[in-house]
Amino acid sequence: MIIAENLVKEFSRPARSTGPFGGIRSLFTTRRVVTRAVDGVSLTVEAGEMVGYIGPNGAGKSTTIKMLTGVLVPTSGRIEVNGLVPWRHRQANARTIGAVFGQRTQLWQDLPLRDSFELIAKLYGMERPHYRSRLARFTELLDLGSFIDTPVRSLSLGQRMRGDLVAAMLYEPPLLYLDEPTVGLDVVAKARIRDFISFLNAETGTTVLLTTHDIADVERLCHRVVVIDGGSVVYDGDLEALRQRHLPYRELTVTVQLPFPEWDVPGIQLVDTAVHDGQATISVRYDPLRISTPEAISRITAQLSVVDLTVQEPDLEQVIHQIYTAR
Amino acid sequence: MRVAVVMLGAKSVLIYRSDVFIGVIGLALRVVLVYLVWRALYDTETSVSGVSLNDAVGYAILGAIFNVTFQPWHFSSLMSRVYDGNVVFDLIRPVGLLTLSLGQQLGATLAGFPRALIGIAVGLTIQAVPPPAGVVTTLAFVVSSLLGMAVALLCNLLVSLTAFWTTEIYGAIMVYHMAAAFCSGALIPLWFMPDALGAVLRYLPFSAQVFTPLSIYFDPSPGPHTLAAIGVQVAWVVLLAYLSRLVWKRALRRVVINGG
Repeated sequence: MIIAENLVKEFSRPARSTGPFGGIRSLFTTRRVVTRAVDGVSLTVEAGEMVGYIGPNGAGKSTTIKMLTGVLVPTSGRIEVNGLVPWRHRQANARTIGAVFGQRTQLWQDLPLRDSFELIAKLYGMERPHYRSRLARFTELLDLGSFIDTPVRSLSLGQRMRGDLVAAMLYEPPLLYLDEPTVGLDVVAKARIRDFISFLNAETGTTVLLTTHDIADVERLCHRVVVIDGGSVVYDGDLEALRQRHLPYRELTVTVQLPFPEWDVPGIQLVDTAVHDGQATISVRYDPLRISTPEAISRITAQLSVVDLTVQEPDLEQVIHQIYTAR
Repeated sequence: MRVAVVMLGAKSVLIYRSDVFIGVIGLALRVVLVYLVWRALYDTETSVSGVSLNDAVGYAILGAIFNVTFQPWHFSSLMSRVYDGNVVFDLIRPVGLLTLSLGQQLGATLAGFPRALIGIAVGLTIQAVPPPAGVVTTLAFVVSSLLGMAVALLCNLLVSLTAFWTTEIYGAIMVYHMAAAFCSGALIPLWFMPDALGAVLRYLPFSAQVFTPLSIYFDPSPGPHTLAAIGVQVAWVVLLAYLSRLVWKRALRRVVINGG
């Protein structure tokens, strides 16, 4: 569905002078500074996939999405989306994609939400009955009923984002680009949006490319993740494999009665001990490829009188952080 | 689908009911003021530069109506869309940006038509505006007015397209707005301008917006020169449409190469 090969995007801006009269000199300078926002990104997305496209601020995520949607022309490299070159066939490509840019809106600010939907239905040449049934469906799924006749200007961020999602999917594009669709939303609103996206994918096989800073979005929606940093892809593959590669250990936190014997559980390492209120909280870790979690638990409980035990979820946030800072 | 864009443009204006209401009051006030000023100016004269008081007052009233209808303060949503970046969505529509922008502008302008028509009707009823000379004059006036609107829409479109080069242009817009009102003859008929200035202004597209239809209205004997004036308007429409395409192509190049 999406094929991108060696995408490069360079921006050139007039150079800023510093020093005396820097501001004035900048006005007349002909020097230009070239920055490379995307530096050789290759990416293939199959129909029906949901791919998380993540990376720190300024990594080149939005620039990539803008090239894929056809807004920006790549400096070099090849893009094909649904068999079209997006920037060359901008309007034909537009019919096959939906887009949500979390920081922007495609809704008409002055008018009730419904008017935006009406116009989009007409712009994309939707048949009336089809439009009506689809809008009714979305209204129910995203609970738009209470604010669909409110001017967009007066909507809350969560409501507006739901409106933007409907606007992007109304005409049933097979491909959906989501650029930070949950930015600034509360937990409930985020959950609602995630549910809707996974519903779209499950029901009609909508292909989704999602950029986000909220790792939970990716964990909830995507099996595959592409990590980009400094304009290049640093990881492309299974989310689970990424976790394993960067977090080779699982951690357990065990609370035991004092006194407890010298730590000697085979295959499980002691990381930290803290004593309080006649109990000790012990952090241990093990390699999940060598010992399964139930096995680790049974080995520990066999030796110690355990009061409480928690399995630490491997923290993807931490994995991503490791990748970003490792470079 | 284009009609839908136009309707939405009109709705965006009409939804602000108090704004519409204030617009009507503003126009009424302006009509009363120009009436008083021109009366005072003429004092005891019956004709200035060959223009009678009645024609001068009628012109001033129609000029005010044309000014508020064709040359509104917020003539396009394009500039704010460029400013806040929402213009990216215009680039991924199955319809071109020029069509979308012109549709929105046309809708916003048409939303002002009822007000304008009521204004003209009231002017005719209280005989502040002299009736048109005949059927031919009326017909030519309507055609010329619509062409004047087309010229105004295209001029405004061209100005809003400059937003792609400079994001902060509200000062320039104010100057443009005042210049357009003056140069189009909406404030003072070009008849009263010094010869040299009047001649220059007749060669600018602004006069095609307001002065051409109004001078047709007040022309006692329409003839080939009327057709010629309309022909010039058509030429302006073609030229400005071509220019808009050209500017938009450059703007698009700039956007797709260098981002927003």
